[in-house]
Amino acid sequence: METVVETLHMNKGAGETSYAMNSSVQRKLISLTKQAVEKAIKEILCSQRGPIMKMGIADLGCSSGPNTLMVISELVQTIYATSNTLNRLAPKELMLYLNDLFTNDFNNIFTSLPSFHKKIKQEKENNQSKNNNIRDFGSTCFVSAVPGTFYGRLFPTKSINFFHSSSSLHWLSRVPSGLKDESVRRSNKGKLYISKTTPNSVIEAYSQQFQNDFSCFLESRSLELVDGGRMVLSFMGRESMDPAAPYGCYHWELLAQALMTMVPEGLVEEEKVDSFNAPYYACCYEELKMVIENEGSFSVDSLETYEIDWDEGIKSEKGEGFARLVRAAYESLLEYHFGSHIMDDLFGRYAQLLDHHFSKTRPKFLAFNISLVK
Amino acid sequence: METVVETLHMNKGAGETSYAMNSFVQRKIISLTNQATEKAIMEILCSKRRPITKMGIADLGCSSGPNALRVISEIVEAINATSSLLNHQAPKELMFYMNDLFTNDFNNIFASLPSFHKKIRQQKSNYNNGNIGSNCFVSAVPGSFYGRLFPTKSLHFVHSSSSLHWLSQVPCGLEDERGRGLNKGKLYISKSSPNCVLEAYLQQFQNNFSQFLESRSQEMINGGLMVLSFMGRKSKDPTSANCCYQWELLANALMTMVSEGLVKEEDVDSFNAPYYAPCFEELKIEIEKEGSFMVNSYETYEVDWDDGMELQSDDNDLLGRKMSSGERVAKTIRAVVESMLESHFGSHIMDDLFQRYAKLVEDHLSKTRTKYINLVISLVKRQ
Repeated sequence: METVVETLHMNKGAGETSYAMNSSVQRKLISLTKQAVEKAIKEILCSQRGPIMKMGIADLGCSSGPNTLMVISELVQTIYATSNTLNRLAPKELMLYLNDLFTNDFNNIFTSLPSFHKKIKQEKENNQSKNNNIRDFGSTCFVSAVPGTFYGRLFPTKSINFFHSSSSLHWLSRVPSGLKDESVRRSNKGKLYISKTTPNSVIEAYSQQFQNDFSCFLESRSLELVDGGRMVLSFMGRESMDPAAPYGCYHWELLAQALMTMVPEGLVEEEKVDSFNAPYYACCYEELKMVIENEGSFSVDSLETYEIDWDEGIKSEKGEGFARLVRAAYESLLEYHFGSHIMDDLFGRYAQLLDHHFSKTRPKFLAFNISLVK
Repeated sequence: METVVETLHMNKGAGETSYAMNSFVQRKIISLTNQATEKAIMEILCSKRRPITKMGIADLGCSSGPNALRVISEIVEAINATSSLLNHQAPKELMFYMNDLFTNDFNNIFASLPSFHKKIRQQKSNYNNGNIGSNCFVSAVPGSFYGRLFPTKSLHFVHSSSSLHWLSQVPCGLEDERGRGLNKGKLYISKSSPNCVLEAYLQQFQNNFSQFLESRSQEMINGGLMVLSFMGRKSKDPTSANCCYQWELLANALMTMVSEGLVKEEDVDSFNAPYYAPCFEELKIEIEKEGSFMVNSYETYEVDWDDGMELQSDDNDLLGRKMSSGERVAKTIRAVVESMLESHFGSHIMDDLFQRYAKLVEDHLSKTRTKYINLVISLVKRQ
């Protein structure tokens, strides 16, 4: 059976249901974290007595489409701007690593690299003219792709100065291992994720999987970071300790409802819905802090929470727009389990439920933005 | 206008005309190069008194399909075998950098990585010495190797197969003052090419190869090794058949289409392949001029145009008919040159062109067994 690591990917290309065209929420989260990123970069550069020769920066869960290169563009600009302020040379060599799972659309990123390099060159020249007394101000940028799961080692020991990750750590490495037992797996009846009706055994399995995964993440990163290296991680969470708190799970709830309308029509088997459990977890603040403290390699520099509207950046036809956003991110997993032939119908029904929901409330996500120091 | 760097790529995917399914010649060449690779790995591991902790290895022009990861597998095997022989620990961390141009099908390589990692773990456990076995980190580095790709002093070993005969651009000076092609009716160097065309090609190759050497010199550690394998020629004469006849026949195929009004003659005149097959003397000049590298060894191999077929399981076309030599050769050439021909001539003529080409190749090979000349050169970076 194919695992999450081998199936999960955002929808490829730049078409109507692609991630590139439907990722406004993820883009918003990236922009909200900019300040924390700037602060972290500043601390890293300040902690050195002089200019750094080689600096390694990685974006974990980089996905594809315009968001990907936007993130590293901004990182490079931040490094130049900070170096300017400190009145010193930018790092001579900047290694920019883009990580995501094996089925991510890396080809899409690479075709945009020539224009990215031109842009960086322009940035370098702009900064050069601001620093006429410093020769060769800018950095040589080396961009590479590192495919694989971040629940495990990706980089050589002590090779990275800064990790960035946005909208990725709510994905688990697998469907919780506590759900291996078939009867437990099917006990989350009519649901795709945690809900008010989810049995305790399922909730515990999810929480345990998150703890294992996130610890493994922290351990791997701590071996890969140089001393004093930093991370800024942003991902979806939930607003209270209640596992079924709506900011963390209600979009899954409505998706499950849409699927359940297809069951009495004979389009989807009920036990297929019962046996699907999303490899996803929206943790709460307490869980997050606990795992960090227990793992012990990092201290928390700052931890912020943001509320993001579901319809962020969606101007009209909110139900359809949000349905496409979810589809772009979840389709690969749903297709594998339910078949691709029901996807159009499913997301049409989902859009309708969403329209109704949008007419009553302003639904939101809750996101964490955490800055860690090794 | 799009450049070589932005258009050249092997045919994507795994379909009938893909590079993945039609790269047995290149696969054969990789296996011919393996001896030099093993020798180089041995030298690198022997030269260090203490085991290497982090080893950087690059494959330049890795392309996609099964050949891409095969190269890395063989290098890992060589490292395991050598370490075992020397009773050394293998390098703790192995970084493999796979490089090709921006439009290469990297997605195809990555999809095969999970099973590749399983295979590597299996290879690790095949060795009795419990200390053998490295953590392998595989990444992709897109961009042109005629320029910097890697940070300073980060590479121990550089491998490149079937790539350095590609130039960074079509040579300048192949048109007259009125913009008409000087290399009439040809796609590459030919017996009819004027001297200025030969000179333009040589100049472009010299510029490119010295850029290549200069960039690698900054990226490699002292004592690092490079094994480079690519199309070349034995004779000093750049018009000798062994290095250009595959292009000659392709030009002839196009010219039959010109006479039938299917292709414009000036399109053939104005197309010049961004390709050059050097002789060893031409390489030596640039190596000595750049000065950072010494030649460790040099070999030439003759390779049949349809070599490597014994490695291919399926010798039949879609209709189950046994393919002729000409057809097989045409498929391998198409997988490689289609991207650049399409942008010049249009994709609508490709099927017809390669059918005609297949017949011309079949006819030629039945009379003369022209072969490719593949050069394998091993270089060491001076201390």
